[in-house]
Amino acid sequence: MMATDQRAFVRPRRFVAMGLVVVVLLGMLTARLWDLQISNGGRYRALAENNRVLRLPVTADRGIILDRNGKILVRNIPGFAVSVVPVDLPRSRETEIAGKLGVLVGREGQEILDLIAAQRLRNPYEPVKVSTKPVAREVALLLTERAEAYPGVRIDAESIRQYVDGPLYSPVMGYVGPIRPDELAAKRDAGYLPTDDVGRTGLEWQYEPYLRGTYGWREIERDAAQREIKTLAETPPVPGGNLKLTIDDRLQRLIAGELQAGVDKDAFTQGVGVAIDPQNGEILAMVSTPSYDNNVFIRGVTTAEMKAFNADDRRPLVNKAVGEIYPPGSTFKMVTGLAALTEGTATRDTQVNVTSISFSVSGTSFFDWTTHGLLNFLTGFAHSSDIYFYSLAGGSPMSSVRGVGPDAIAKYAHMLGFGQRTGVDLPGEAGGIIPDPAWKEEVFGRPWSIGNTYHEAIGQGFVAVTPLQLVNAYAAVANGGTVYVPHLLKEVDDPQGNALLVKQPEVARRLAMKPEDLRLIREGARLVVTSGHAYMPNAKLPIAGKTGTAEFGPSAGRDSAGRNLLGFHNWFVSFLPKQDNTDPTAEIAMVLFTFNSSKSLCDSCLNPAVAMTQRIYEAYIQGTPPGDKKAGPP
Amino acid sequence: MTAGPVTTARAASPLHDRPTYRRLEQIDPYLLIATLLLVAYGLVIAYSTSFEDRTAADPLQAVARAVVFAGLGLGLMVAAAYFDYAWFGAFAPLLYLLTIGLLILVLVIGHNILGGQRWVTIAGQKFQVSEFAKVLMIVVLAKWFADRHDRIRSPLVLLGALVLLVPPWALVYRQPDLGTSLVFVAIFFGMAFIAGARLWQLASLVAVGIASFPLVWSFLQGYQRARLTAFLNPYADPQGAGWNIIQSLIAIGSGQAMGKGLTAGTQSPLGYLPIAESDFVFAGLAEDLGFVGSLILFALFAVLLVAALRIAFRARDPFGTYLAGGVVAMLAFQIVVNVGMTMSLMPVTGIPLPFISHGGSSLLSICLALGMLQSIAMRRDHNRLRT
Repeated sequence: MMATDQRAFVRPRRFVAMGLVVVVLLGMLTARLWDLQISNGGRYRALAENNRVLRLPVTADRGIILDRNGKILVRNIPGFAVSVVPVDLPRSRETEIAGKLGVLVGREGQEILDLIAAQRLRNPYEPVKVSTKPVAREVALLLTERAEAYPGVRIDAESIRQYVDGPLYSPVMGYVGPIRPDELAAKRDAGYLPTDDVGRTGLEWQYEPYLRGTYGWREIERDAAQREIKTLAETPPVPGGNLKLTIDDRLQRLIAGELQAGVDKDAFTQGVGVAIDPQNGEILAMVSTPSYDNNVFIRGVTTAEMKAFNADDRRPLVNKAVGEIYPPGSTFKMVTGLAALTEGTATRDTQVNVTSISFSVSGTSFFDWTTHGLLNFLTGFAHSSDIYFYSLAGGSPMSSVRGVGPDAIAKYAHMLGFGQRTGVDLPGEAGGIIPDPAWKEEVFGRPWSIGNTYHEAIGQGFVAVTPLQLVNAYAAVANGGTVYVPHLLKEVDDPQGNALLVKQPEVARRLAMKPEDLRLIREGARLVVTSGHAYMPNAKLPIAGKTGTAEFGPSAGRDSAGRNLLGFHNWFVSFLPKQDNTDPTAEIAMVLFTFNSSKSLCDSCLNPAVAMTQRIYEAYIQGTPPGDKKAGPP
Repeated sequence: MTAGPVTTARAASPLHDRPTYRRLEQIDPYLLIATLLLVAYGLVIAYSTSFEDRTAADPLQAVARAVVFAGLGLGLMVAAAYFDYAWFGAFAPLLYLLTIGLLILVLVIGHNILGGQRWVTIAGQKFQVSEFAKVLMIVVLAKWFADRHDRIRSPLVLLGALVLLVPPWALVYRQPDLGTSLVFVAIFFGMAFIAGARLWQLASLVAVGIASFPLVWSFLQGYQRARLTAFLNPYADPQGAGWNIIQSLIAIGSGQAMGKGLTAGTQSPLGYLPIAESDFVFAGLAEDLGFVGSLILFALFAVLLVAALRIAFRARDPFGTYLAGGVVAMLAFQIVVNVGMTMSLMPVTGIPLPFISHGGSSLLSICLALGMLQSIAMRRDHNRLRT
């Protein structure tokens, strides 16, 4: 062996130290590797999958809405939406990207920043929609092609809701709008996403569960530049059901055309028309005018537009057929009459001799509109004598009849569907008011007076009804005594046209009234047209109906056009028997209501609703083409 | 046995060498087997990463290139082993000048890749000069320390080595190639330690280095600083400086025990794992082959390093010992820093992983170094032959 000093240049301890350092360092690396791959391997595997695999919802097409004959009233058209996935957007570039997107989608950059910040807190892996209105194709293409320049930005093909005749149907259809955070929290389990639209009002709201459909899912593999590489798995969406309505577009247009013409001529400021099938409660038409173009809410309503809607005292956003209550005027005499007939305090032969235009009770005068002379039930109803119905309700010096009293009137009013919601398939329905002594005591703290009874008898005073309640009550009389729940939905169809659900007529209640009394009302209503208050020249159809007017003084103020704010209302509620007889065969009942008809504020003037009703029935039944060609189907 | 026993290491001369066939018996088998297996491992990984790279036009071409370089490397290793390593010592001054010259050349005519001017093209192939510079500097420093091994405790010897180191270090740093310049520092300390420099002197140098750290920091480029600190908390900027590290961790962790299989990794093909064939190649390996595959790699590295240390220990002369020690320091540093970097234990410095990172220059320079190690092994202590 060599001498130790000859190999003094080899220092064993340093070799051992160096070897130890190498082994220890490799040991540390191994420990770290164990930590990453064995202890936390599952977590990192999931992260790698998260990187790679994106589970994208595939939106289901919202169901379309058709009229009873299959005419499309609401449909979807293709469009694009811009969303941001916060986790993929570097914070350092947030402001820049939000600014650029703001320009592209027409919003303030700050709004978009706020959305992204909120979504980061909620769930940064989930996209948040930043475009409020449909995005132009060019913008969508630009964002798709330059994906690298817009990290975290996604373009989704989107169905855009289109309301074919916006203002014609907006009170019925309502509109869809972006889901709100509080709604999302409540509906997340039902599969809603932050980018979703939901029905905000109208049928879009009412039938949201049917219309929405079920989302599908697509798992895609994506690279670091967020480009889609391939689809890994796919679950197709199930489109929403199509709503077939009870609405008949032709009748809807006829009514809307008449009401719009009246508004255009300034004969009245607002109009409501509802037609119903008395035999099953199907709503054939529901018009509320002026309305609004619901497409405005799809493209994103501007602040100015919203201000204008809210400032308009005609309340265009409200469906006045169900959402507003009005005094029914003389149309309510049917209720008073039926109460007296059913309770037996009056018969068709009960006489009242209207020898004077008014009578006094405890110092207060109660007027009729003319001196009718001797009236029986039919002529009293046909000529709409106020004193005849004062007498039936509360008795009077002009008759020996015993008044049936306010409680009985209220009872039968409720039986006919007043003072409560009809249950129509629309949101925002008002219940109306049917007063009685207990109600007045509770609300006003004052006792009922005979004056209250008289006013109630002729549909004035506290009585308030919705146009739908009124037509539904007359429909019940017209069909022989069944109150149906009025409805707009006929059936829900799948995209192939198979019925998923067929709406059956729903009976609210049967009138506990004698058939002959109901027949008497039908007879009277026919007499109203043939010889009474609503004379129709050259009538071609056996229309029956009842007029009503309600008048308010200037005490409630004046509207922007200088009219009394509550104004002067005209009603004509009608039904059309199959033949000119009193059988309960009517298949159509209709109410027309014109609001604030100040120009026709005279007792001798014809109620404008009467002539409109005649034209509508004749055009609809006899197939006369609608006068307004522009509103016709294309 | 033609000549008498060598009396001192310094008397060893290439001119008194023994026949080649006798020396073959002294080839270090552990080093050789580890080397061959690591080269093969590198080819397997080259195959996997090439086929995972969906941007590559022709993955086969990349694999073929790796095979060619493996062959060249092994050839170079055989050649280096054939020559007595003493020749390298004899030409050390020339090699030193060659190193500096090449590094200057790179700065003048080099290609710019990824923000660093590191490459020169020779015969149509790009060469990363700093890779060879590392090995050449090991030779130069080994010669310096070997010639002064009896005065090794003098601070002047240490300072002299430092002076030798500074010009190539500065040139590499200037490229800028922070990683390689750090390897130079590691080589220096490793060799000085093996050579027997006094610990307090080395400690003083480390202290000076730490003290001057703020100064060095101020010279660093912004991207270098961001890369260096990102490993402390990569999640501070997950989309920016921390991205590489996070994606590397995800790749490694997702490999779990057995890995996803060769070419079946997803982090690299989809572009999440950056520079998957060089700096972050270990992450791709760990994703494909898992804990088991990584442990096999570590084991091969451990065998290689311990074998190299044994060669250093048994070398016939100080030059051989220091040369081998320098190679161990270089390889160990690169392995630990590269793997540590992918696992967020070390700053990101852009140091290739020996054998595994793609890159002909790295493989060739390592093969050259390992050839020299075999040369040392084959010419180790003659006395052992008699027993």
